[in-house]
Amino acid sequence: MQENYLAKWLSGELSEEELREFENSREFASYQKLKDASSKLKAPDFDTEKALQRLKKEHIDNAPKVISLNPFKKFLRVAAVIAILLAGSYFYVNTLNEKVTTEYAERSEVILPDNSEIFLNADSQVSFNKKNWDNKRNVDLKGEAFFKVAKGKKFTVSTKHGTVAVLGTQFNVENRKGFFEVTCYEGLVSVTYNNKETKLPAGTSFLIINGKIVDVGRPNGTLPSWMNNESSFESIPLKYVFAELERQFNIKVSSKNIDENLLFTGSFNNTDLNMALKSISTPSKTRYKIEGDNVLFYAGNTQQ
Amino acid sequence: MSNVCEDHVFSKVFKTHSKTVFNYIFYKFGNEEKAHDAVQEAFVKLWQNCAKVSPEKAKSYVYTIANNLYLNVIKAEKVRLKHADSLVKDRTNESPEFLMEEKEYKEKLDNALNALPENQRTTFLLNRIDGKKYAEIAEMEGVSIKAIEKRMHLALKSLREHIDGI
Repeated sequence: MQENYLAKWLSGELSEEELREFENSREFASYQKLKDASSKLKAPDFDTEKALQRLKKEHIDNAPKVISLNPFKKFLRVAAVIAILLAGSYFYVNTLNEKVTTEYAERSEVILPDNSEIFLNADSQVSFNKKNWDNKRNVDLKGEAFFKVAKGKKFTVSTKHGTVAVLGTQFNVENRKGFFEVTCYEGLVSVTYNNKETKLPAGTSFLIINGKIVDVGRPNGTLPSWMNNESSFESIPLKYVFAELERQFNIKVSSKNIDENLLFTGSFNNTDLNMALKSISTPSKTRYKIEGDNVLFYAGNTQQ
Repeated sequence: MSNVCEDHVFSKVFKTHSKTVFNYIFYKFGNEEKAHDAVQEAFVKLWQNCAKVSPEKAKSYVYTIANNLYLNVIKAEKVRLKHADSLVKDRTNESPEFLMEEKEYKEKLDNALNALPENQRTTFLLNRIDGKKYAEIAEMEGVSIKAIEKRMHLALKSLREHIDGI
């Protein structure tokens, strides 16, 4: 008999000879009975349909499958974030204002989108929104500038002291500490100061010194004098003259025994410091001394 | 290409194999509740990994999961099987002695089955009740066909000896 013949007999793999030999054996009847009886055995009931319903209800419907995102989708997410950042920064940069600044002893010229021109005097700054220019012609000004405004919509210059509104004209705005002057050279300018509007026809000025309106005479020429490298003053306290001198030559001006509120009328050249100093000292009857970048004005009768 | 993730494919795999998984665990441990749980666990795992398991591999996958589930964890209980009594009903004029003998034999068979080592009992019942071929059982158990034949041979031998009181 071959190995595991009982298993072979059950699966019907015994040869005829082997089968005959086995059938003639003493134990065969027992095995035959075992085979018959075991074929009638049954496992406990199992309801496949019910088990499947339970599985779907308890596990599958309530617990969604985890589907991993493929790497390309991850890449897309990263790309989307980058795209959003780029677009966001593009719009942010676009809303930023254009800004032009001059330092001491420096001038600059700005051409606006509608070909209006701004000439910046020393230590001044203008900023404006280039993108929105066609809808809103507005310039923020610190310091002094001369404007040649192209005809078009209302053009406003906003300063700390007040706003200047025009339609198309040429005018100068000087906006310094305690000093605000608007001079109109052409057309009509509207100045709003302390919520009060003042109309400036061509050839007039509007001046505020320390919050007080000061009467000034008619400006000379068709351009502010600084455009011709000259700083002109008419009944202006000396301290503003000194301040302008500092701006034009990038120097430090101080005084001794001089009443800086004395009114000065005159002008100085913006290119030659010695000429400028003489232009100030002679009419104001003062003397001056230069030490490097420092200039000291002192009264003519002061003992040195 | 069919995919186990598709509902109809999954349901088909379940209907084809869930009863055998149930029986397989029941023959091993004799615990119906655990067998029901094993079916649920094995097929949930299959569903979760449906993208990785091809329909051809699904069968051995669920047997492996079910088998590993209670590995050495639960103690085997008595396997209680049903006995189809068509044989008795066919012959209405059997003598009381014969019926008595039949009943005795069934009890002996039950006891003999419970006395078998787990792997022999599982192999024997998978073949006798579920009609699984030795090759299929070998695949489920992860052993050679020869090993299954050996288990079968030993199971028959032990059962006969137990029943005949040798």
